[in-house]
Amino acid sequence: MRIRFVAAVAVVSLSAAGVAVAALPKNKALAIMHARHEGMEKIGDTNKLLNREFRSGTPFAPAVKSGAATIASLAKQSSGWFPAGTGPEMGKTGAKPEIWQHQKDFAAKLVIFQRAAVAFNAAAASGDMAAAKARYADLGGTCKSCHDSYRSEMHH
Amino acid sequence: MPRQLSFGDAPLRHRQRVWDLPVRLVHWLLAGLIVFSWWSVHNHHTDWHIWSGIAILTLLIFRLLWGFVGSSTARWTGFIRGPRGVVDYLRGRWYGIGHTPLGALSVIAMFLALAVQVGLGLISEDEDGIFTGPLSALVSIDLSDKARDLHEFWFETVILPLVALHLIAIVVYQIRGRNLTRPMLTGDAAMESRAPPMRPGKWWVALICLAVALGIARWVVAGAPGLPH
Repeated sequence: MRIRFVAAVAVVSLSAAGVAVAALPKNKALAIMHARHEGMEKIGDTNKLLNREFRSGTPFAPAVKSGAATIASLAKQSSGWFPAGTGPEMGKTGAKPEIWQHQKDFAAKLVIFQRAAVAFNAAAASGDMAAAKARYADLGGTCKSCHDSYRSEMHH
Repeated sequence: MPRQLSFGDAPLRHRQRVWDLPVRLVHWLLAGLIVFSWWSVHNHHTDWHIWSGIAILTLLIFRLLWGFVGSSTARWTGFIRGPRGVVDYLRGRWYGIGHTPLGALSVIAMFLALAVQVGLGLISEDEDGIFTGPLSALVSIDLSDKARDLHEFWFETVILPLVALHLIAIVVYQIRGRNLTRPMLTGDAAMESRAPPMRPGKWWVALICLAVALGIARWVVAGAPGLPH
């Protein structure tokens, strides 16, 4: 009886592990999480630079253009940053489990962010710094609204 | 004439004013804002947290000024005493009203600790660069990030212990028969009659201090225009 129970548990856990492995090998999951972390960090650092440009009152257009292009490119990549199996159960991450519990909402928010990044990049490329500043503010709003629900604090 | 009360052999005590309204308001607003600051930053309300810090900045500036031109018990020169004053107080040789020489040390420590905390907060930015202190653009990204970590560290290692010490002192005084909370609420305390009375400050001077404090806070919120970026 006891042996049968243990065996049953073993079979169930093995098959569960098998499913997880089939979905995303651990090394691949960790590689995606690493890329995600680096990408988000780069977006954050670029955001800090842009913030200083706009708050100086006289933004340096080439710096704004380059920052906007960096964020637009990373935003595009972000579509591949959140496959199932890359949450806190896999390793240290600022991504909340809610991302995979509310996948539709999260995906919608990610698209809104990507669109805002494209719009900001276009405004920056046009050289119109006033327009760029407005699109930059929109972009910041999309970061915030997503982070409010889906980003946890992560101490290094 | 204040009403005189006598309890058997106890020294003559009468109710008299020890804390003016500005001192009490600053005290309770600070207490509330410190709690609110802690709560808001831990509940995804970083924007409220920043405004709470601005409010604390305003109160600190006001209190600094009121410490020069306010009521006698509010003035820095009225309660800051050297080590000898503290020793005299501990030996029971102090008969003033307002902050005791020992309590004054606590006031100074709290004021300075909060000033440092607000200063660090003003130049901080969050990890993502979404929320920025009004003066964060005046410093480098690196310094701003360091200030954020230090801001958190300072709260845990300095502000929190000072608040704990403050609360413990209130309990200790209560056990020894002295209620410190009621005077901070009503402004009045039963004092021995040999204590010199409080000289109250002027209400319009308080208003000027408030106007100056609000003006400086507004300038800070605007990113301190005029200072080099």
